Amino acid sequence: MSETAFPINDLLRRKLSTGLTVISLTTCVASTLFLLLFSGQIGLGIASTQLNTLTRGLSMVFGQFLLFVGVLIFAVGAVIVSFIVYLMMAQRTKDFGLMKATGCPNSLVFGYFMTELLGTTLVGCILGTLVGLGTDYLVISMPIFDAYSKAPNLWFAPLVFATFFAFALIFGAKPVLEAARMSPIKALSPLQYFGLGKGAAFKPLSRTGLTLRVASRSLFRRKAATLRIVVFLSVAFLLLTVSIAGGIIANDTSTFWLQKGMGTNIVLVAQNDMATQYTQLLRSFSGATYNAAFNYSDLKLALSPAILQELGQINGVTTVDARLVWKGTVQEVSGWRIDPGTLATINVGADRSTNSLVVGLNPDTLVTTPLTDGTFLNSTSDYYAVVGDSISRTIYAPFYARGAYGNELHEADPLLENARILGRTFKIVGVCIDPINNGNVTYVSLQTLENITGISNPNIALIKVEASADINAILNQMQTHLKTFSPDLTAVSLNGAFEENTHFLSSLWGVVMFLPAFALAAAALCLVSYLMLTIDEQHQEFAILRATGAKPRTVVGILAAQSVTVLLSGFAVGISLGTIITLLILTKIPVVSTFTILAISAWLLAALLSMFLISLYPAVKFARKPLLKIMS
Amino acid sequence: MQSTEKPVVISAVQLCKAYQMEDTEVEVLKNIDLTVHEGQFVAIYGPSGAGKTTLLNMISGIDKPTAGKIVVYDKSLAEQNEDVLAEYRCNQVGFVFQSYNLVSTLTVAENIAFPMEWKRATSQEIQKRVAELIETLGLKHRANHFPAQLSGGEQQRVAFARALANNPPLLLADEPTGNLDTKNGERIIQILQTLKAEGKTIIVSTHDADIMPLADLKFFLEDGNLATAQ
Repeated sequence: MSETAFPINDLLRRKLSTGLTVISLTTCVASTLFLLLFSGQIGLGIASTQLNTLTRGLSMVFGQFLLFVGVLIFAVGAVIVSFIVYLMMAQRTKDFGLMKATGCPNSLVFGYFMTELLGTTLVGCILGTLVGLGTDYLVISMPIFDAYSKAPNLWFAPLVFATFFAFALIFGAKPVLEAARMSPIKALSPLQYFGLGKGAAFKPLSRTGLTLRVASRSLFRRKAATLRIVVFLSVAFLLLTVSIAGGIIANDTSTFWLQKGMGTNIVLVAQNDMATQYTQLLRSFSGATYNAAFNYSDLKLALSPAILQELGQINGVTTVDARLVWKGTVQEVSGWRIDPGTLATINVGADRSTNSLVVGLNPDTLVTTPLTDGTFLNSTSDYYAVVGDSISRTIYAPFYARGAYGNELHEADPLLENARILGRTFKIVGVCIDPINNGNVTYVSLQTLENITGISNPNIALIKVEASADINAILNQMQTHLKTFSPDLTAVSLNGAFEENTHFLSSLWGVVMFLPAFALAAAALCLVSYLMLTIDEQHQEFAILRATGAKPRTVVGILAAQSVTVLLSGFAVGISLGTIITLLILTKIPVVSTFTILAISAWLLAALLSMFLISLYPAVKFARKPLLKIMS
Repeated sequence: MQSTEKPVVISAVQLCKAYQMEDTEVEVLKNIDLTVHEGQFVAIYGPSGAGKTTLLNMISGIDKPTAGKIVVYDKSLAEQNEDVLAEYRCNQVGFVFQSYNLVSTLTVAENIAFPMEWKRATSQEIQKRVAELIETLGLKHRANHFPAQLSGGEQQRVAFARALANNPPLLLADEPTGNLDTKNGERIIQILQTLKAEGKTIIVSTHDADIMPLADLKFFLEDGNLATAQ
């Protein structure tokens, strides 16, 4: 028997076992590669197609989310691959013993089985890579993903192939090495594989819960295999929890941020062109364009105090928030901090600049207060400023600059720095998330902006209308009043722009949420493969149970109970870790309502139930087999 | 010889079994006619591959014939569904397999007990019956050991105990002494003798000449053909 003939024949003759192992490996490698490629493409798609949308802070939320999901997908794949090959090679332990008992030298036994391992994993990994690439091509070609169909990062293919191949070899070689070192008698003993010791004193099984007890006993006595599947399921459920809970919470949270920044039941009053420009600036969050050369200093845009006073007297109007919208250069003014260790003064920031929308407002009459890190402006904030998150992540972001040791990373923190506008320095007191102009906005007090720009009147008014009031009736009333001042003045509800932005945000999360669906499908496929392998491994025992009078449904019951036990164990661990990661790492200041919790619970329970139902398939299929076929 | 007045337990008429092996069909059993009465001890012998195990599989309801009829305890086995056959195997037949077929993850006591679980016996009943069988078959010191920790003779005795757990009226034993040494073989023959004395119907496939004197009926099976032997 040649050194290659034996392994090839052995693999070919164990058609079912070899087939299942190759299918499991292929499924796992393919699903991991596909999910990585797909999430990368979605991430790239969002980053590039949405370059002129969202705000930089929100893009970061998407980026972080996809990165984390990618890492978890990789972890799930690695765990299942190592598990599958371990299971396959552990089944060969008895054969090692047999070969050694018949005089086969250690090196040859090792060679035979390493060749088998190498052949199986190579075929599985190659097929998996090809299937993964093909699936990604097919899915991303679907019309729904048109906007995100960026070229895939093909480096993932060799990365997944090499890592999983290495994992498979390392974990598969472990039982081969152990068996090669084992004495033949030990390798031949089933004790070796099952790890059995002396049993506990006999106690008959109770009439009730018989199936469960047989199942739990079987799981307990196959500790190594059970532990591995629980680890796999824990990571799979962790991935699902992070994807589902993270996705839903992040969606709710980002929608809440949007609501804080835009408000509801707000009416914009301005000159016609200014009203269009301001609405477009708000809608730029969802990709709308605006006039970049708009002249905000035009005197005809001014709203007189008389107009504002009259609007405030309309029934149903609660607040009139007059603002001056202007565009100009905002320059970074570096700050400093004391190093607590050395008590030395450290420079923070540099002197970068950017074009920003500058909005002057009266802190006493705010109708919207965007979510702010730090504090928003208050009535005494003469030369204080709040910058939008996109400004914060451009001119106030840490940067590299040449130093004594080459390129060095320099720290920057808007809350320790200042901003210069038209030669005046403003102390930055907060960083806010505001959809207007994609977060490229700086808020200062109205009085100060009027002073430094020389524009004496606000050019827009945001008017808060009571929630119970009929907004259309109030709009009509406003239009009538405004026409008495100027035919160019208009009043428009901002509810439309708000809905457009929230819809855009939800649709982005909707695309991202395809990932958990694919991840669930991949996990289910891997679970079915695992169950088929374990059923194959336990088939002799089930045959004995059937031969001594157990009904097919009893066998299904035992397998179902085993499946439920491992599923619930994995579910508990995965959900707990997933919740912690979601709330502590992925989504800071999360918005979690009762509805959010119900939605997440429903999704996760549906996932658990589907996994359970899918896991029944191999059990039912097995139970339907004729008894003699199982026994032979 | 047993009285033929006793009711018929097994009746096989023109029983055939063929397996499809790739392109060729292998006929394992050819038009077998067999009648066994209650309490009879039947020995079937013949060379390896003659079809002895297949015949026992037919009688136990593990396998179904390709042609002909087999009726055991008034049940035409070929026409029954898996649930009915499972109940039949549980309550009316005890099967001692050639290769013992013990569940490796269950202890000796548990291996004996589990067929009683299918019958939904109470804990007390199970405990009592297992203790009785363990005592009778000399396995008391091995009750909590796993099959892999037992000798071949001990495993065979566990297989007998398991087959007898539900006290079935029909016992099938496939080469019960085939893998055993003389001493262990004698022990098994003693067990068979006791069971015969208890009035059980027993069918044994064997090569062992020492079992033959126990038999009321002897059949020779060769190339799928069954012939009555002297």
